Amino acid sequence: MELEQFFGMTYKGSKRFTQHEIPTANATGFGAAADDYMERGIDLNEQLVRNKPATFFMRVSGDAMTGAGIFHGDVVIVDRSIKATSGKVIIATLNGEMLIRRFEKTINKIRLVPETPRLSAIDVDLSGSEFSIWGVVTYVIHSL
Amino acid sequence: MNAIVDCNSFYCSCERAFRPDLWNKPVVVLSNNDGCIVSRSDEARKLGVAMAIPYFQARPIIDKQGISVFSSNYHLYGDMSWRVMETLRTLMGNASKVEVYSVDEAFMDLGHIPAHELEDYSRHIKQTVEQWTGISVSIGVAPTKTLAKLANRLAKKNKQQSGCIKLLTTEDELRTALQQTRVDDLWDVGRAYAVKLINWGITSAWELSNMPEEWAHTNMGGIVGVRLIRELRGLPSIGMEEELVDKKMIATTRMFGRPVTDVHEVKEAVATYISRAAEKLRRQHSAAGTVSVFIVSKEQDHLTDFRRGATISNYATLPRATSLTHELIKAAVGLVDGLFEQGKEYKKAGVMLSSLVPDASIQGNLFSSHAAGEHRNLMHAIDNINFSMRDDSVKFGSSGMNKHWKMRQELRSPRFSTRWEDLKEVK
Repeated sequence: MELEQFFGMTYKGSKRFTQHEIPTANATGFGAAADDYMERGIDLNEQLVRNKPATFFMRVSGDAMTGAGIFHGDVVIVDRSIKATSGKVIIATLNGEMLIRRFEKTINKIRLVPETPRLSAIDVDLSGSEFSIWGVVTYVIHSL
Repeated sequence: MNAIVDCNSFYCSCERAFRPDLWNKPVVVLSNNDGCIVSRSDEARKLGVAMAIPYFQARPIIDKQGISVFSSNYHLYGDMSWRVMETLRTLMGNASKVEVYSVDEAFMDLGHIPAHELEDYSRHIKQTVEQWTGISVSIGVAPTKTLAKLANRLAKKNKQQSGCIKLLTTEDELRTALQQTRVDDLWDVGRAYAVKLINWGITSAWELSNMPEEWAHTNMGGIVGVRLIRELRGLPSIGMEEELVDKKMIATTRMFGRPVTDVHEVKEAVATYISRAAEKLRRQHSAAGTVSVFIVSKEQDHLTDFRRGATISNYATLPRATSLTHELIKAAVGLVDGLFEQGKEYKKAGVMLSSLVPDASIQGNLFSSHAAGEHRNLMHAIDNINFSMRDDSVKFGSSGMNKHWKMRQELRSPRFSTRWEDLKEVK
């Protein structure tokens, strides 16, 4: 958690804005007062991407995480600068494969837990397999 | 103190970032047109793959050892490069302390870091870049840029021992490092000078650093030589460069995917390159007064694809500086007719825009119509569409529809980090 705060500390936002990108009502008469209340509007990059150089998008293939609301074909936003703590959904690499699973860590054990009854959890054998955490999933984009 | 952060086998690292199945496996990346090897992983180097050799020459060993091969994927490398540099700027908290030196190297001004914290700080930079971007880096730290480069070279030479970090801060460390480094391995010393130095009996960087400044002034290109000697002695003489000043000229050059014998195809290529160069021109709000075109033919007696052929070129001065693609294409394509010889095979073409002036300052002359403003709006619209839709969605007819001459990139990986349709799949 400290690490997460640390990484967040120095980062100054995901996008640079310039003044002229803010729209104005461009009214000539009375309506000009509305200009005082014009806003930049909502920018999804700003809302969903906390640390741009460390953020990647990936496409989910398969049903491993349907119970967490992540479906086949969805796009997930992955932040590599966040520390993976137990309970987070992560992108793991296991023996050359990239998997999306819930990360479970106890004192002497790491498990990759799917959210579907059709798959079973993987107990990661840290001595006999190539395992790493690629990044932490922060959002899912699901088309309706 | 100065630091240089240098990505390890950068192109290979970019390819492997999204391919855990290739971690710790031999990988090479090919140049434009799949010509030569431009990047190789440590594993490939250990198997005996040489750098910068033609692909076909390395082919036997690549096939035998099962080395993974990629065509250059510049969209991916450009994006990953930006991520690495942005991470460095974020860590430094001050963009002016980071000088992007090339796609995979940056100098950093560490003047504000106390000496006893330099090692920890370097390690922190290395770990953060790797954590955020997946790209591993080597770091050299020393009193000057030239020495930082030298330190970095030593860090890379023995990664196991150095942990990819080498600091040269004490006099002893510096002397040992200079003694270990040959003059031809120094940054900023060209091959011609290295040969000269070795002929004079100056073989190590240490020997060179002990030469008098006046000697360097006479024998090593004046002030450049003096600067080098001073840098080697630990006196900072090369400052941090300002980032990206507007370019004085803009060039686009590409190999053809196969030999071209048809003048129309050469013209298509030239029009395509002009479109790309004009886009860059407008991005920096410049206009060009001169258009140059060159084409390179294959040698008649050529044995290999990479041998240099004859280059012929010509340029045209425009009646007034312009940033409008169609005006530039017209001038460039006109030049092709004078250069092209029927019956010859061509393998490469390039264009250059120069005599650049600020676009805003272009005063319409008496003979220009007010349609110029509308043309500029048209260019703006085209740039916007191409920027958001990519791959030249809107282009000029003269750049051709089929593009048989286009660069070969048969082994290119998906654009994992920049394209919605190319995203990495996770199971």
